[in-house]
Amino acid sequence: MTLAGLALPAVVLMAVVNAYPVVYAGIQALHDGDLLNLGNFVGLANFRDALTDPLFWRSARFTVVFSLCGVFGSWLLGFALALMLKPNFPGKSVFKILLLLPWIVPIVVSSMSWNWLTATPDSLLPVLARDFGFGRVMFLADPTMAMITVCLFKIWISYPFMMMMMSGALEGIEPNLYEAARVDGANSRQQLRYIVLPMTARSTYIAWILMAMFSVNDFATIYLLTGGGPVDSTTSLIVLAYRSVFQDFRPGYGVAISFLMTGALVTLSIILFRQIRKANIA
Amino acid sequence: MNEFNASRSSMTRRAFLGTTAAAAAAMTVGQKAAFGAEEIKFWDMVWGTGASYTAAAKELVGSYQPSGDNLGVRYQSIPWANWYQTFTSAAASRTTPAVSSGAAFLPFYFIEQGVIAPADDVVAGFDKSGTNDFLPGVLDAMKTDKGYAAMPWSMDLRVIWVRKSLLEKAGVEAPTDWQSFIKVGEALKKIDVVGLGLAGGSTTTDGQHTVSALMINNGGGLFATDGTLDCVTDRNIETLDFLNELVRKGIIDPYAASYTSDNVTRDWLSGRVGMGFGQTGLDKNFPTDQQSDLTVISPIKSTRGDMGTVYYINPLMMFKTTASQPSSEAFLTWYLDNMKVFWEKGVAIDVPVRKSIADLPNLKQNANLQKSIAEWQPVGKTIGAQAPRPFGALNAVDGGGAGAAFIQQIIEGKTASKQILETLQAALEKVVK
Repeated sequence: MTLAGLALPAVVLMAVVNAYPVVYAGIQALHDGDLLNLGNFVGLANFRDALTDPLFWRSARFTVVFSLCGVFGSWLLGFALALMLKPNFPGKSVFKILLLLPWIVPIVVSSMSWNWLTATPDSLLPVLARDFGFGRVMFLADPTMAMITVCLFKIWISYPFMMMMMSGALEGIEPNLYEAARVDGANSRQQLRYIVLPMTARSTYIAWILMAMFSVNDFATIYLLTGGGPVDSTTSLIVLAYRSVFQDFRPGYGVAISFLMTGALVTLSIILFRQIRKANIA
Repeated sequence: MNEFNASRSSMTRRAFLGTTAAAAAAMTVGQKAAFGAEEIKFWDMVWGTGASYTAAAKELVGSYQPSGDNLGVRYQSIPWANWYQTFTSAAASRTTPAVSSGAAFLPFYFIEQGVIAPADDVVAGFDKSGTNDFLPGVLDAMKTDKGYAAMPWSMDLRVIWVRKSLLEKAGVEAPTDWQSFIKVGEALKKIDVVGLGLAGGSTTTDGQHTVSALMINNGGGLFATDGTLDCVTDRNIETLDFLNELVRKGIIDPYAASYTSDNVTRDWLSGRVGMGFGQTGLDKNFPTDQQSDLTVISPIKSTRGDMGTVYYINPLMMFKTTASQPSSEAFLTWYLDNMKVFWEKGVAIDVPVRKSIADLPNLKQNANLQKSIAEWQPVGKTIGAQAPRPFGALNAVDGGGAGAAFIQQIIEGKTASKQILETLQAALEKVVK
C-alpha cells in the first residue's frame, strides 16, 4: 500500500469532521429556520439582509476600530516593554512574569475585575475620575466611553502576546550589529530606526496579522465586559453573529454574518501576506 | 414553511445526529442489560439557591419509588449557560430526557414543533384526585391549541421591593401610584439613593423585566390581543414617558445601562438602591439581620388606574422521547406532589403555584411572599401580554438583542418614546415570525 493509501482514512475522517459543520453552516445560511429546523430555502436573502442592516455596518465599523486598537495598541505597548526588558537587570524574570499576567489570567476573571473597576459610580475608576475633577465618567454606560474602555481592555489583555513575539524577534538580532552602529556613532533612536525596526519587521507583520485575526474573532473580550452594549455601541460582527444565532434564534442570519466575516478576513490575510512577500522583508 | 423542504432538511440533520444518538443508545442498551433496570431521565435546571437547590432536588428524585410497571428516574442537573442549544441539540438528535424543567417559553416552542407531549392527562389526574389546587390562572397560562404545553411548578414573579429604612430616612411613605412613585424617587434622590434600581446591561434580562412589568402595569405589552406584535401603542408610549421622567429626574441611575445583575444586587446590599422590581426572593440576597428591612409593597396604579406586573411560569415538560409515557406522567405527578420540600428547606426562591405549598407554615409567616401571592400574582401576565396565550417565539423576545438595546435607549434618555418603540417593533419583527 502506498503512503497516500495509508493516509487516506485519516484524510477522509478529517474531511468529514471538518466538512460537515462547514457544509451544514453553508446550508443554514441559505435558509430561514431556527436551531431545530432548517426552515425554508431563502437563497442569499440572509446575506442581503446583513448587508442592508445598519447594525451590521455599525458592527463592522466597531470591529475595524477594535481590531486596529488591538493590533497597534498592543504592539506599541508590547514592543516598548520588550525593548525595556532586553537588557539584563535584577528581578527581570519576576517583572516579565508580572507583565504576562493579563494573558495568563482567565478572561472571565479579568473581565469581572474590569467590571468591578468601572461599572458602578462607586467603582475605583469613576471615583478617581471624580476626584481628579473629570466629573461623572461612565466607563461602560456611555456608548463612546464603552468603546474606549473595551479597546483599552483589549490592549491590556493582548500586549503580553506582542511582548513575547517582539522579545523573540529582538533576541534574533546579532549584538555586534549594535556595537558596529555605536562605533559608527549611531544614537539609540537611530539604532531603533535603522537596525531594530527593519530586523524585526517580519515578526512584526506576522504578529499584526495574527492579532488582526484574533481581534476580529474576539468574542469573549467584548461580550464578557459589555455584551455589545450600551445601545449596540460595542457590538462587533462576531458578537452580532452570536446574538443572531443564540439570542434571536436566527442561525441562518448569524451564519451569513460569519461567512461575510470569514471572507473579509481571508481577503485581508492574503493581501497582507502578499505585501510581506513583495516587500521581501528579512 | 414548505413542508417538503422542512421534512427533507430536518431528516438530513436528524439522520446525522440520529446516527450518533443510535450509537450512544446501543452502548446504553448494553449497560441496561448489565444493571437490569431501565430508568427515565429527568433534567432539571439550576433553580433557586443554586447548589443547595440541586442537592435537594437530587435527594428528592432519589427517593422516588415507581409503582407497578413504571420506570425509575435518574436526576441530571442542567446549567443555564447555553440552555437553548442544550435543548434544541437534544431535540434535533432525539436525545431529550423523559421529563425536564426549563425556561418559561421553551414548552410553547417545543409543543409547536411536536417534540413534547401535552400534559392534559396529568392535569386530568389532578382533577380526578381532587388535588388540583394550582393558583388561579396558572394552569390556563400553559394552555395551547395542542393542549397543556407543560405543568407549572413555580413562578418568577416581579414585585416592587422597598428598603424601609431608606424611605424613612427620606421621610416618605411607599408609593401607591406612578405619581407618588416619582415623588418618592425624588425624595430618595435627595439622599443619594436610586429610586428605581435595575440592571440594563446586555447580558442580563433584569431591566427588560422591569420595563415589561411597567408596560403591563399600564395595560400595555408587546403584543395585541390577537397575538400580533404591537409595540407602538399609546399605553406603551405613556410607560416610556414615565420612565423618561424617572431618567430625567435622576431616579433611574444612568450607570444602569451597563449594569449586570451582580452590579444591581450589590447596590441593593450597599443601600444605594431604595426601590425596584425584583423576584419574590430578593431578600434572600441580604444578610439575615437585614432581610426585614426589605418589604414588598402593594401593586402601584398607573396614570390610567391599571395595575399589573410580569411573571414567568417555570414549567415541567414531558418529551416524546420517553421510554414510557405513563412513567413520565407518574413521575411528574409525584414530583409535583412532593416538591414542597424545596420551600420547606428554603432552596426555592420563586412563588409556589400550588395553594397547598403556599399555605406551608413557614411560607404563611413570610409576609412579603403572602403579599406577592395575594396582590401581585393575580395582576401578573407574561411578556406575551396582551396576546391571549404564550407562544414559542417569546423565547427570542425574552433576552434577545433587541430587548437589551431597547432598555439601554430608555436609560440613555435621549430618544423619544415613540421612536424607541418603533425601533423595538422593527427589531422584533425579525425574530417573531
